[in-house]
Amino acid sequence: VGLQVSSGLQDMSLRDRGGRRRDFHDLGVNTRQAMVHVQESKTGFSGKVIKLSTNHFRLTSRPQWALYQYHVGYSPDMEARRLRSALLFQHEETIGKTHAFDGTVLFLPRKLDSKVTELFSRTRNGEDVKITVTLTNELPPTSPTCLQFYNIIFRRLLKMLNLQQIGRNYYNPSDPVSIPNHRLMVWLGFTSSILQYEENIMLCADVSHKVLRGETVLDTMHSLHSQVGEERFRDTCAKELIGLIVLTKYNNRTYRIDDIDWDNNPKGTFRKSDGSEMSFVEYYKKQYNIEISDWMQPVLISQMKRRRGNIQGSVALIPELCSLTGLTDKMRSDFNMMKDLAIHTRLPPEQRQRELGRLLNYIQRDDNVQKELRNWGLSFDYRSVSFTGRVVQGEKILQSGSMFDYNPQFADWTKETRGVPLIRAVPMDNWLLIYTRRNHDVANTLLQSLFKVTPSMGIHMNKPNMIEVDDRTEAYLRVLQQRITPETNIVVCILSSSRKDKYDAIKKYLCTDCPIPSQCVLARTLSKPQTIMTVATKIALQMNCKMGGELWSVEIPLKQVMIVGIDCYHDTVAGKQSIAGFVASLNQGMTRWFSRCVVQSRGQELVDGIKVCLQTALRNWSKWNRCLPSRIFVYRDGVGDGQLNTLVNYEVPQFLDCLKSIGTDYSPKLTVIVVKKRVGARFFAEVGGGLRNPPPGTVVDTVVTRPEWYDFFVVSQTVKNGCVAPTHYNVVYDTSLLKPDHVQRLTYKLCHMYYNWSGIIRVPAPCQYAHKLAFLVGQSIHREPNLMLSERLYYL
Amino acid sequence: MDKNFQEEFTQIIKFQPPLYKQRYQFVKDLVEKYKPKKVADLGCADCSLLWMLKFCSCIEVLAGLDICANVMKEKMHTLSPLPVDYLQPSERSLTVTLHHGSVAHKDPCMLGFDLVTCIELIEHLEESELKKFPEVVFGFMAPSIVVISTPNSEFNPLLPRVMLYRHPDHKFEWSQAQFQSWALETARCYNYSVEFTGVGHPPTGMEKVGFCTQIGVFVRKCPQTGESVQSEKPTEAVYKTVFKAVYPSLKDEKYLQNAVISEVVFTAQIIKHRLMSKRKEYGDDPERKPKSQPSMDYFPDHLGKLLVEKNMEPFVSGNEVYIPLTAIFSFPKVNRLCGTFEKLCKLIAGKVALSSDGSAVMLNIEHENEEN
Repeated sequence: VGLQVSSGLQDMSLRDRGGRRRDFHDLGVNTRQAMVHVQESKTGFSGKVIKLSTNHFRLTSRPQWALYQYHVGYSPDMEARRLRSALLFQHEETIGKTHAFDGTVLFLPRKLDSKVTELFSRTRNGEDVKITVTLTNELPPTSPTCLQFYNIIFRRLLKMLNLQQIGRNYYNPSDPVSIPNHRLMVWLGFTSSILQYEENIMLCADVSHKVLRGETVLDTMHSLHSQVGEERFRDTCAKELIGLIVLTKYNNRTYRIDDIDWDNNPKGTFRKSDGSEMSFVEYYKKQYNIEISDWMQPVLISQMKRRRGNIQGSVALIPELCSLTGLTDKMRSDFNMMKDLAIHTRLPPEQRQRELGRLLNYIQRDDNVQKELRNWGLSFDYRSVSFTGRVVQGEKILQSGSMFDYNPQFADWTKETRGVPLIRAVPMDNWLLIYTRRNHDVANTLLQSLFKVTPSMGIHMNKPNMIEVDDRTEAYLRVLQQRITPETNIVVCILSSSRKDKYDAIKKYLCTDCPIPSQCVLARTLSKPQTIMTVATKIALQMNCKMGGELWSVEIPLKQVMIVGIDCYHDTVAGKQSIAGFVASLNQGMTRWFSRCVVQSRGQELVDGIKVCLQTALRNWSKWNRCLPSRIFVYRDGVGDGQLNTLVNYEVPQFLDCLKSIGTDYSPKLTVIVVKKRVGARFFAEVGGGLRNPPPGTVVDTVVTRPEWYDFFVVSQTVKNGCVAPTHYNVVYDTSLLKPDHVQRLTYKLCHMYYNWSGIIRVPAPCQYAHKLAFLVGQSIHREPNLMLSERLYYL
Repeated sequence: MDKNFQEEFTQIIKFQPPLYKQRYQFVKDLVEKYKPKKVADLGCADCSLLWMLKFCSCIEVLAGLDICANVMKEKMHTLSPLPVDYLQPSERSLTVTLHHGSVAHKDPCMLGFDLVTCIELIEHLEESELKKFPEVVFGFMAPSIVVISTPNSEFNPLLPRVMLYRHPDHKFEWSQAQFQSWALETARCYNYSVEFTGVGHPPTGMEKVGFCTQIGVFVRKCPQTGESVQSEKPTEAVYKTVFKAVYPSLKDEKYLQNAVISEVVFTAQIIKHRLMSKRKEYGDDPERKPKSQPSMDYFPDHLGKLLVEKNMEPFVSGNEVYIPLTAIFSFPKVNRLCGTFEKLCKLIAGKVALSSDGSAVMLNIEHENEEN
């Protein structure tokens, strides 16, 4: 894999706040150059043309504009950065008023007359200093350093507009939306990145919402205490709080809560950088004049990933002085809260563009901002970029010899395939239905409904073993231990509440010690008569998948192909594990999937485990197909911003190694595609003078893609509210020699194959399966499930 | 000007905490003692003293002045409000302003201050500037208290690396006698009293050299009224404002209203939650009512009104829970925010769903989330 990472970045010492040097945009990872078949073109051709606009804005700079990088040396050497700056800036008539200087490296928007400029300054105590300014680099606008510099300049502008930086983005604090029902506040802000796109350098700006909470961590702890009582208090706090990002009352930093130290309190002491010991109470009083009122509260621990000033390792924070940001998992599962939030955060296309227009307006109107831009020779085209995309043809859903079309507007075929036999229906001859006394009626309702809906699907169902239990975890487990026989097809548990511990215990037992597919159902979801048939249908389908059934398929023209999906889950609570879910197709129709997962503690490399997964997947594929696949597609989700380089340089070679180890005569074609759901790009279809969400199947592979990558966007899903987010696919390795159009089509086809949703989803099914698996293991099981289950979709 | 820089020269005699911190602490202690509302720091340099002072809860106006705009700009963002200041606006109001200008010039923006600090400033002034300084600070600004600190040259022999002055930009460094005579003369001239002290104790046995930094605290003798001062002064602005930050405060109606609404709705939710769990104890049947609220649901409007006047019990009617404002007002946090019941009503009017007579907050029962 011939790859280059530009060395320019390492030289870059001008930094953003906090001295962060991470390259979030994966600049300088040039993967396309190694793929000969896409050198000329990486665009597809099929489908109808659609007119699109986007949230990208062209950057217009002076012709041949570049950034000039100078090294500045002092003789005699000057230590203090401020003094170095002061001495250099005495020569503003030479270097100009516009400059960026970090003490050593100087960036100028124009070239000095000579390559080496010598300047003479005198310090206040009369010492003569020679300053040598040497040109080290002429950076074209497309160089990674220059792009990073543009980004820094742009963020400076946002700061000049009085926006507040929280994490990576900037927010407007003066006009918050408050949602008092949930004690939430929403700040409107912007994400911005300036990058080299296909033909132009562009600003990609998007509206961002920051959810903040009008309460301190201590407030939250108090209300948790009153909700769950003393006994479960600490556990609940850990579950609710660990992993959240907090803001402090006294500085403009964000911290992640990694742990709670219950043995410590504000009276506890810590060692200051000068070596002296001081209590938290004393420190906050002295340093910030803050009186800590509750001296019994525990202390929050935040691990520092990077060195921050003198502090390294972990930082202790006082709950009373920390405000929470973002949502907890519990809040996310609160339907009412999310509904209230969505009103403010899910902006439909036109409104989103209007908000964006407001930002650009601020930029255009602010004199200081305009001056700063002018000084660096930067300006923007304030109209967003328009171009054309393609809507590829819809897929036909194949089910038991019939073919179905779906309405592309909804991207859903629930109605079309209702009452149609499944491809493979697994009989439920021997199954358990477990419920509490209170849910006796609910259990019967479910059973009757299942008897109504299963025949048309072709599922043969016997009356289950109905078992009433006490509403305690141990009671459920005892029943499972006593009543499951080798003949049991599936276990259905009706739970009276969404208490996670009961669910976890059941899943853990049935995924590891006693590998049997299981279906947990909340009694509440079965309580509404008007929806019971829909719910029963969904449950029947889901159970059928879990037992190894197959629902529908789409046409896959490629033969002898194995599709792999990988996603990661980072378990923040229990032991700080990371889990990689791995699924691989087993048959031509992509209806059966093999799965494994890798559980590893912090610090271990993920790739070693993935190698083992790939090996077993190949073994299983050959068992099913009596040969090895000639093509392998890996859809890799869960790659964070700035991790592309690692993926390309470590993970891909491991895949290749693994394939080599299968046999010397085995050399399948390998395609590795990085899947990214969280991207800043948004596309809007221009319909009758207005903006709409583009229809599913919209493919974009020009203008807003990156020249150094073989990448494309697909809009596969539909959304009811707000803007649809396109998914970005980056083919980082490809020996398949397939046309880009075919890779795009295959990708879109795979978005139809997720059995828990009879519609198109936003990622290829293997990614979603891998996500589901990793999530289940990370949330509930915490170790690798029993391999007996590995050929079923038990994790749905 | 460059306060921290100076410490490099004093490394042999080690002050703990460092001398510049001791000077700041001195000012902080003074602020604690006199509780000034408006404080100006002349020669504020990188704003580190201002940054410390912004945490002092008595101060409502903070101003900085420096002759060098670049040094102020370097760290001025540390004086901006933090996200949390917006999330939990404080009771007090605070405005921080930075001006670019000279202490030799008068500008009306410096009028009306309670405390003016000149920490390690005067020794950087040229002779002509020093001459105008007393008239500008004591005559024109005329704050209640002025603090002036400056190096004590008698201490210099104990600082090995100091040749002439402690800092190359110093135009002079005074002995105790020189400083005191200048200060006494100034105080006499502008009707202030002055007391001398300092920070940085001399080593034992050398007490007579005095503090490393000498400090004069000037207190105006007769309290002048603001108007009489201003009327005789020229009021032309000569300073350039380089920074201004207005902190969110509950004194601002907008923030107060947000805070009150948020607290009222939150409190109402708590009361509702309690009520609903109490009802649960009587069984899941929503038709069965707790004994304490006999048949109230049948005549909600009529009886509801009566009950609000008599007590503060929340009640259920149809699909709504009514939580009397009086009950909400009895919560200390709401009470403290609003002060009066009338103010509470005024602030939430039109923003929170109320019963038809406006006496109770109305919440939907459906909104209750099933507790785990």
